[in-house]
Amino acid sequence: MSVELRNVSCVYAPGTPYETRAVTELSLTIRDGEFAGVMGKTGCGKSTMIQLIAGLMRPSGGQILLDGQDINGKNFDRDGLRRRVGVVFQFPEIQLFETTVKRDVAFGLRHFGWTEEEKESSVREALERMGFSYEAVKDKSPLGFSGGEKRRLAVAGVLAARPELLILDEPLAGLDPLGREALLTLLGELNRDGTTILMVSHDADTLAEYADRIILLKDGRLFRDGPAAEVFADYDALKDNGIGVCRVREAAEALRRRGWEIPAGTVRYGQLLDEIAGRWRQ
Amino acid sequence: MNRLPAGLYQPGDSVVHRLDAAAKLLCLLLLLAAVVNTAAPAGYGVWVLLLALLIRLARIPPRTALASAAGLGWFFLLILLMNLCFYAPEQAWVSVWIFRPSSAGLLQGLRVAARVFLLLVMSNVLMVSTPPLALTGAFERLLSPLRFIGVPTELAAMILSVAIQFIPTLLEETDGIRKAQTARGARFDSPNLWEKGKAVLPLLAPVFVAAFQRADELSLAMEARGYRADIRRGRKKYPPFRACDWLALSLCAAAAVIFIIIR
Repeated sequence: MSVELRNVSCVYAPGTPYETRAVTELSLTIRDGEFAGVMGKTGCGKSTMIQLIAGLMRPSGGQILLDGQDINGKNFDRDGLRRRVGVVFQFPEIQLFETTVKRDVAFGLRHFGWTEEEKESSVREALERMGFSYEAVKDKSPLGFSGGEKRRLAVAGVLAARPELLILDEPLAGLDPLGREALLTLLGELNRDGTTILMVSHDADTLAEYADRIILLKDGRLFRDGPAAEVFADYDALKDNGIGVCRVREAAEALRRRGWEIPAGTVRYGQLLDEIAGRWRQ
Repeated sequence: MNRLPAGLYQPGDSVVHRLDAAAKLLCLLLLLAAVVNTAAPAGYGVWVLLLALLIRLARIPPRTALASAAGLGWFFLLILLMNLCFYAPEQAWVSVWIFRPSSAGLLQGLRVAARVFLLLVMSNVLMVSTPPLALTGAFERLLSPLRFIGVPTELAAMILSVAIQFIPTLLEETDGIRKAQTARGARFDSPNLWEKGKAVLPLLAPVFVAAFQRADELSLAMEARGYRADIRRGRKKYPPFRACDWLALSLCAAAAVIFIIIR
């Protein structure tokens, strides 16, 4: 699913002493099937942007188009939007509430008019994708699982609707290394199967590894937008603006200063290793 | 969605904002006593005018001041209907099953609705013009004489201030959960009452779980920093009332006396 923001602005609590401009005249396009990473300091408008795209907030100005249709337009199908756009919020484990895992994962499917078989197969697939055995967990209480497992259950609850656009807000925060790896692998798979992914993270290395494209926000405006190699190459600008730097990029920079010829676009771990191995052999 | 919750403190520099919080709280109590004792319909007209004056003095936008009563239309209608049908059955115009509407009931309904409206808006003016911590300080100060008869006022004030401080956090969390469930396909905005009722559970269950978790963590954090309920804590010294505080108090007291005598 393609996403287009046209001159989008969003103001909180207008006309009160608490008025804040969260997003200002933001324009960008995310192509169908893309894996886009979003970065920026706390308060830069990332979360607001996500909520605007998911139709959970209305912009104060501008338009948001999904597959070319204005989501705040009169005839837009909101229920369809809920199915086609999945959102994994920060610490999504808090949204679990049902008596059984099966019911919780199927919660979102109630209003989509699916048959029981369709629902069940979708729930099974989502749970198995998240590394659970459907038969083993379906009748357990979702609240009895560990923190990392609950996170995966919550993500399953979002995947069950088979969204075409998956938005994730800091999905890796607080996960153990294995959980991180598993979630990232899954996101890679979903993306290969055609799901458009928009992921917010503070972890530049992970985004450099997985995302086709990096969107940097600063004070509610677009600051940088392009492939990781290009965006992270501008090392000083990122550092000066308090945006996490890419460690691989940092290492490459340090090697360059010591006289190694490492290309400026080296942002992935594998890339850096190849470069080093290449120089070594020479 | 982008609006603020009713009753949220809004910084300002009006006469009302600058009054001592304890004095304001006492004023509110006096005014409430006066409102509850008003019987004549004309009296309520006077109250509405006084309230408008107060909102003007506090320089609060009328929309903000009325926010606490807005959206309670159904509640007011219910009060009105209940009183209309059950207040004075012996003077009823007609009698249909258990319903006995009367003009005395109608009058009483209007009176009660007006009282509730005035109570809500007056309390809201206090909330909007006073920082929450000043308000809990005022509670502690006003309740402190009770400690001589063994009431744990410090504890009560601590509980109150913690509770008040967590309101914004809980509201924010509720909003986050509402959005997460909406994104999953829950319908909170359905005009269908049955759908609306069903939508409460996915919201309430997580909010409660989170609130208990938070309370647990907070009590541990407080104990880790040496808080103990059975040891007396240092007490804050409050400045004495100034001339304007006494003036406001005497005005409210005068209003209370006048309305209670005249009714």
